Amino acid sequence: MKSKIAQLIALSVFLSLLPLFTPPAYLYIIGLGIVFAVIVASWDLIVGYAGQVNLGHTTFVGLGAYTAAILQVPSRIGMNLEIHPILSIILAGTFSAIVALGIGIVILRLKGYYFSLVTAILPLVFMQKVFIWKDIFGGEEGFSIPVEKVAFAATIEKYYFALLFMFLSILFMLYISNSKLGIRFKAIRDSEELSESLGINVTYYKVLAVVISSFFAGMAGAIFVNYRHTVAPDLYDVPLMLLIILSAVIGGLGSLIGPLLMGLVIYLAKNWWLTFLKFGILNEEVILYAILITIAILMPEGVYGRRIFLKQIIKKLQN
Amino acid sequence: MRSLAILALVLLLAFCVSQPETVGKREKVVIGVLAPLSLPEGSAQEKAARIAVEEINSKGGILGYKVELVVGDDKLDPTVGSAEFRRLATIEKADVIIGGFSSGVMLATMEVMAETKTLFLTDASSPSHSAKVAENYEKYKYWFRLQNNATTFAYDIADMVKMLRENGYEVKKVYIIRDEHIWAEDVVKALKPLLDSLQVEIVKDVKIPRNYAEYEPLILEAEKLNADLIIPIIALAGTGDILVKQWASLKPKLLIGGDLLAANDYAFFEKTGGAANYVIFTADGGTLVTDPITKMGKEFVEKYKAKYGHYPEAHQAFVAYDAVYLYKLAVEEAQRNKEKDPFNSDVLVKYIERFNEKNPVVLTRPIAFAKNHDLAWGDNLTRNWISQWQDGKQVVIYPEHVATGKLKLPPWMK
Amino acid sequence: MIEIIELLLFGTAIGGIFALIASGFSLIFGVSRILNFAHGVCFAVSAYSAIFLIKEFSLDVYLASLIGIAIAVLLGLAVYAITKPVRANAVMVIIVTLAFALLVEQVILTSFGNRGMSLTPFVEGVQVIYENLRMAKMRLIAIPVAIALLLALDLFINKSMAGKRIQAVSQDLEASMLIGINVEWIFIITIAISSALAGFAGILYSQIFNIYPAMILRVLIYAFAIVILGGLGSIRGSILASFIVGYVFVATMKTLGTHWSEFVMLIVIVGILIAKPTGLFGVRE
Repeated sequence: MKSKIAQLIALSVFLSLLPLFTPPAYLYIIGLGIVFAVIVASWDLIVGYAGQVNLGHTTFVGLGAYTAAILQVPSRIGMNLEIHPILSIILAGTFSAIVALGIGIVILRLKGYYFSLVTAILPLVFMQKVFIWKDIFGGEEGFSIPVEKVAFAATIEKYYFALLFMFLSILFMLYISNSKLGIRFKAIRDSEELSESLGINVTYYKVLAVVISSFFAGMAGAIFVNYRHTVAPDLYDVPLMLLIILSAVIGGLGSLIGPLLMGLVIYLAKNWWLTFLKFGILNEEVILYAILITIAILMPEGVYGRRIFLKQIIKKLQN
Repeated sequence: MRSLAILALVLLLAFCVSQPETVGKREKVVIGVLAPLSLPEGSAQEKAARIAVEEINSKGGILGYKVELVVGDDKLDPTVGSAEFRRLATIEKADVIIGGFSSGVMLATMEVMAETKTLFLTDASSPSHSAKVAENYEKYKYWFRLQNNATTFAYDIADMVKMLRENGYEVKKVYIIRDEHIWAEDVVKALKPLLDSLQVEIVKDVKIPRNYAEYEPLILEAEKLNADLIIPIIALAGTGDILVKQWASLKPKLLIGGDLLAANDYAFFEKTGGAANYVIFTADGGTLVTDPITKMGKEFVEKYKAKYGHYPEAHQAFVAYDAVYLYKLAVEEAQRNKEKDPFNSDVLVKYIERFNEKNPVVLTRPIAFAKNHDLAWGDNLTRNWISQWQDGKQVVIYPEHVATGKLKLPPWMK
Repeated sequence: MIEIIELLLFGTAIGGIFALIASGFSLIFGVSRILNFAHGVCFAVSAYSAIFLIKEFSLDVYLASLIGIAIAVLLGLAVYAITKPVRANAVMVIIVTLAFALLVEQVILTSFGNRGMSLTPFVEGVQVIYENLRMAKMRLIAIPVAIALLLALDLFINKSMAGKRIQAVSQDLEASMLIGINVEWIFIITIAISSALAGFAGILYSQIFNIYPAMILRVLIYAFAIVILGGLGSIRGSILASFIVGYVFVATMKTLGTHWSEFVMLIVIVGILIAKPTGLFGVRE
């Protein structure tokens, strides 16, 4: 645990020094990558620590994003409020957590493949609201938030806020993972039946894991919105979920820091490093997916020394 | 994996360090194009801009500087569009950005434009864009529209109704099928009062999402409701060809006439296997692809065909081509007036504004800016000429002073 | 009256097409426990290939469709190949198939663009059914064609030797290996058949409606929903569920509009699962 905190501090220091020699245009993308990395880490909390292979994590990202967006442009629902952007970010996270509570209680009773399939559909169900109430949520093109209502306008501010968010969130998650709560999560991950027999209320802890992680995912979504000044349904969508899964798995489920780092790397790869490669029908997404398929095939047992643990996840899926 | 990640971060650091902020002498002029490249309306803009840039470079560039074209794909997504705009403006250091198509994406990219203060010469038709200029001139003044405002589509559609009546085809009831999008909202909003004043009843107003294809039941319903005309207001759905094909196979007793973007495509007749025959449409942006109204326009389409093997696939090509030349003219005028920095956006805004209704500049279409940087609409400026597909050719049928043919009715309706 | 006929015909047509997709998905899962997130690829690729062949090589629509379906089968086999090394790890399978689906979607996007395209129908024109109700002939034809294929599938699974082997592997993998069934071959045959079915569905769909890149994932959602409803691994369950979903879809489309219809369907699915966590028809785990 201590080493992980040390790694977190090292990473944070490194990132906080970047602006000294990086043009703001790049800082912008790196900041977004940091926020994405937090989402990946929050997914690790559910999957790597509590063992629930949740394919619908983007539900909470999107929910948080739209909640904050509406709170900051309340005219869309015909109201006239003045909510401080930081407050709306926290409210967004809270709302996501509340919805996660409701969904969790219902869906966490499902097991194995059904759980995965239903969670896979979940974000798309929520995404429909964007189209059905197009006037409020803006349809497939979303809507934008005027600069005055946004939490921070300058690229540098956005960057440091993202960094602060990352530091605090990961610190909190590390703390949880190492606490009694974390131990219970891991027990459930390793064997639900055994945990039950030991008197652990499995459903309670599974729901708690989802609630905590969705709080951070929701806030991250809200921060995305404040960062980019726009909200759009892509935050619910499948490609984002795939990126999260990939980052977490390749980074090493159950370590928090691994997924965090990998999330940053993969986000930057997709949105920056690979954008230079565009030949004919190959664009940067094609290349990214090809690389990721190759890595996944070459390392079927997962990475970062988590072999034993992944086998257990598979066993759980097959039950 | 941990070592790989650390390696990646070190690379990141190295990359960042290697990009010093160069604030030095100008070496070139950078023109950016930002459009949905996977759609014809987007790819046409890139291709047209490229021709313009090549021509300008072969004649010595702009003020002697070579012009470089940089391209971004907005993928019809406001987030991607905003990110790409930012990249073109801040990393590629574009002096001017041309592009747009979707009004929703335009709203988002205008915000980035305001932040980076980059000149933005655009397509996209929603009045909400010029409304922003009205609301906050200093912030949004860098935006200019080289395409008609959607309310003008309503004027031309209303004129189309009058034209039909003048030609003996009575229009009392209309059935509207339109994009579920802000731009179509704007057109319908402007159209309703106009139709009211013509005593035309709108029997139904159907909103369709992107890629919608179930037109059969709609056409049948229009027939059941005794509509004389289906008015499509479709640009984003992308399925105008299906509408037309199903209309031609069902042969209902009603015409199709409206703002059907797909019909502007020179290959539309072929693409629909001839079903497009007798479809009436507005030539958006003031020019028929197959029959440009200015000399420069005619030369442009031939150059396009020579370079790419076909005529422009969308009228947005004219917008992009005009935009590049407009920029060049403005810069040159600024230089002539001894401006300290003729490439400065704030300076150029004033020069572009000088092209108004009393002083239009004739490129592939007459360009003149009205209030709030909208394109001026009028008989001798840019209008959405009412056209019709007749036996494989696009023909302008209204207004008379530009008409190249007369209205024809489909055989099953005579 | 007309409305009901319209509903029945439209619903059966779309239900049939769904069934071709969902049964294949269910089949693959039943046999190999693979959740094939790339199943929609076969659906789209057959249509796009056929469209391409007709446009560039002026092939007739039957030949083009056949080749299109063949290409879909090839892609299905590609999915088999890339999932083989990771089959033991369900999360990896999802990652690999999902990445593959997104990859193909991007390639289609860059090659064909984002506009919907349609395939020349086998039969053109419109059929008058009843009074004012006219329907595209292709839509009517799709019904018997889809049903014929589904019956053929059902017969194959239940009566043929290969079909029986498939059932055996679905029920108990290890026991099947013990009695000498070449399980790898069964996997291959299953994926090939499923891909062909999905490919055929794609051909039919693009002749009636149109096809665009986002369909690859959209069709998958419907498949998931249907298979959850019908019970993972149950072919007959999937087929029945497909028709139910087809009718619900058409009914809500008419009354509430496209977006509501997807929403309603998904809510109904989730609702049913809450009540019966193993789908309507139980599950063959």
